[in-house]
Amino acid sequence: MAATPRMELEKMSVEHLRGLKEQVDMEVNLLQDSLNNLRSANARLEIASAALQDLSVRPQGKKMLVPLTASLYVPGKLDDSEKVLVDVGTGYFIEKTMVEGKDYCERKIALLKSNYDQLLEVTAKKRSIADEAGAILQAKLKHLAPSQ
Amino acid sequence: MAAVKELTRDLENKANDFRKLEKDIQKNQQVKKKYTIQLGENELVLKELDLLNEDTNVYKLIGPVLVKQDLAEANANVRKRIEYISAELKRLDGTLQDLQEKLNSKQESIAKLQQRIQTLQAGKAKA
Repeated sequence: MAATPRMELEKMSVEHLRGLKEQVDMEVNLLQDSLNNLRSANARLEIASAALQDLSVRPQGKKMLVPLTASLYVPGKLDDSEKVLVDVGTGYFIEKTMVEGKDYCERKIALLKSNYDQLLEVTAKKRSIADEAGAILQAKLKHLAPSQ
Repeated sequence: MAAVKELTRDLENKANDFRKLEKDIQKNQQVKKKYTIQLGENELVLKELDLLNEDTNVYKLIGPVLVKQDLAEANANVRKRIEYISAELKRLDGTLQDLQEKLNSKQESIAKLQQRIQTLQAGKAKA
């Protein structure tokens, strides 16, 4: 399966090959950025999940500090932690029970993980094409140079 | 001599048109990207809303205000938004194809012009 693309790459001129390698390199960078974004989103969700877990074991009425801004906290008391508001996107929030909330986090984390794995596969394939193109390009250039 | 000048001027105009078409295509693709992301987000929301019982509370963030929404209404809103975005994406696809065709034909006519200029200049050099 790897043989056919390689033969096509061999047939191309140096210019063509160089252009192709640049393009594929750019694509690999974009894919890598997406991979990083997915990873950081996953990290945020894990933190949310951990926070939920922590909240669920706290008793009602427990004293806590509530963040109003990044540097301002006010003392407060924990209300019923059985209900949570979940941000599902496009400005919609859904009231869920603690169990449903935890389940939501788990589901999202699973979804992101599967997306990440799929993307990783695609990135690996693109990277191998870029590497092959680079290798063939080098070979061709070396081939041309001695004749001068 | 004048013919070459005129052709060169024509070439410049065509080159400008070409660049403008390229920019338009780029803008089109950016807008398409934005809409695609929104579509994905809205579909996720719809999936979540579908999982809920009738009596679950749904709130919408309007500016700094969280407003309680009727589940049916929220469903309808999200569906409508999805429809709208899908229609926009289709329209943009059509425009993109159109722009692409114009770009290709512009490229062809530029290539032809360049050839003509070259032959004229070569002819003059011989003379």
